[in-house]
Amino acid sequence: MPGGIAFEFPRLFFGGFWLTVQISVLGLVGALVLGTVVALFRVSPIAALRWIGGSYVEFFRNTPLVVQLFFLFLGLPFMGIRFSSDTFENLFRAAIVGMATYHGAYVAEIVRGGLLGVDKGQLEAARSLGLSYPGMLRYVQLPQTFRAIIPPLGNIAIALVKNTSLASTIGVAETLSAAEIVETRTFRTEEAFLTATLFFLLLTVPLGIVVNGLERRLLVAR
Amino acid sequence: MRGIGRILATGIAILFVAAACGGATTTTTASATASASPSKPKFELASFMYSLQTKGKLRIGTQEDNFPFSVKNPATSKWEGFDVEIGRELAKAIFGTGGDVESNIEWVAVTSATRIPSLTDNKVDVIIKTFTINEDRKKQIDFSDLYFKTGQRILVKSSNTTIKEAADLAGKNVCAQKGSTSEQNVTKATNGAAKLLLLDSYPACLLALQQGQADAVSTDETILFGLVKQDPTTKIVGKYFSEEPYGIGVKKDAGNDRNGFVPFLNTWLAGIIKDGTWAKLYEKHITPVAGDKKQNPNG
Repeated sequence: MPGGIAFEFPRLFFGGFWLTVQISVLGLVGALVLGTVVALFRVSPIAALRWIGGSYVEFFRNTPLVVQLFFLFLGLPFMGIRFSSDTFENLFRAAIVGMATYHGAYVAEIVRGGLLGVDKGQLEAARSLGLSYPGMLRYVQLPQTFRAIIPPLGNIAIALVKNTSLASTIGVAETLSAAEIVETRTFRTEEAFLTATLFFLLLTVPLGIVVNGLERRLLVAR
Repeated sequence: MRGIGRILATGIAILFVAAACGGATTTTTASATASASPSKPKFELASFMYSLQTKGKLRIGTQEDNFPFSVKNPATSKWEGFDVEIGRELAKAIFGTGGDVESNIEWVAVTSATRIPSLTDNKVDVIIKTFTINEDRKKQIDFSDLYFKTGQRILVKSSNTTIKEAADLAGKNVCAQKGSTSEQNVTKATNGAAKLLLLDSYPACLLALQQGQADAVSTDETILFGLVKQDPTTKIVGKYFSEEPYGIGVKKDAGNDRNGFVPFLNTWLAGIIKDGTWAKLYEKHITPVAGDKKQNPNG
């Protein structure tokens, strides 16, 4: 049975899968919040904020995720910054922060595109009705933006789930890591990696379906 | 695709040239053996050593940054280290001590992962690179007798006084390379009580140790020697809790293409151990880092 090897090493595989789920969910929430804030910075009327948002996107989008993870895990402690005094808790949090900051840059660009895509007339109408800038964002611009950017955000979410496997390079015992360890113990390479593949599909396929459903429902509401 | 095509083309070109040269040497050696210099060892015509001798080249696979066993000195681009000198002794045993031994050797840089493929693909004649003899590997290649014996030990900060033996690793954060036998040995030695931090390289483990994210790093003593050299504020503790016998790896003798090679290697190894050459090499390369002296691999 494909994936049967997971039951021979349940602690490695199911423990790893649970870590993958946690890092994915928390990382995604972080990326959405961070990305939205950065996008608002980028379209802000204040130049300094635009500059900060732009630098953030350029930095995190243009450096490899693995390098960022290594920096968070082995670089920050040199500056006395650690997410937790416990090594494994530190690793786990570093992985979540890494997922959020890296994918946050992509989310920011998507949200910015959505914000710019809202019809100018809508914004002018909102302002002339007496809405403040934050009020206009909250009630007019952002709702229309998120409706439009569901498909590209779905892409990012799926990419994020798969990219959590990079956390194995800094020693997070997630799904891919489990497959690697089981492979060297048993020499059953195909089974181990097939199982890891199945576990990732178990997350990404339903995620794709949810995104598609969301897109359809919101389209009807429009 | 174009890059692959070019590589293929170069490969084929090299093959042709090699074939042409091979043909040429066979014809000339007929006369060369007739007037062979007396310092050249004599081998049976059908043996692999004879074919090496006629080719005039021994291809030795080793690693470029495996202190103190094999290092390609970046300043002089000369090869140095214990494994390297064992390789030179082997070349002397095949080509004789008459000429410049270096001219008979072609050094091929390998890594841990490319050791077995470079043998099975016939890219090298021997692998001399801290190569642990074990049953899984014996299914794919042949090994000589062991020429070096080491084992797994523990690296801690010099200030650490609580970790002295493998059993002390229980409950501690121990860093090892992911997918290594070292990781499994730690698990065995502590009955799974050690918390393993599995990274992709030992320099990363050393960083984790320096930052206190790992309490110890554990792997073959020889690799730990290299880490201590990088960071003298660390120390190696404990007895061996695994055995790692190193052998010389050769391709399996399929269709007599390695005829008599492993028995020859074993006789030669026994010889250099008996006449004190081995002890001299140990004292030159290993004693400075290990502090002890040995007369033979088991001593």
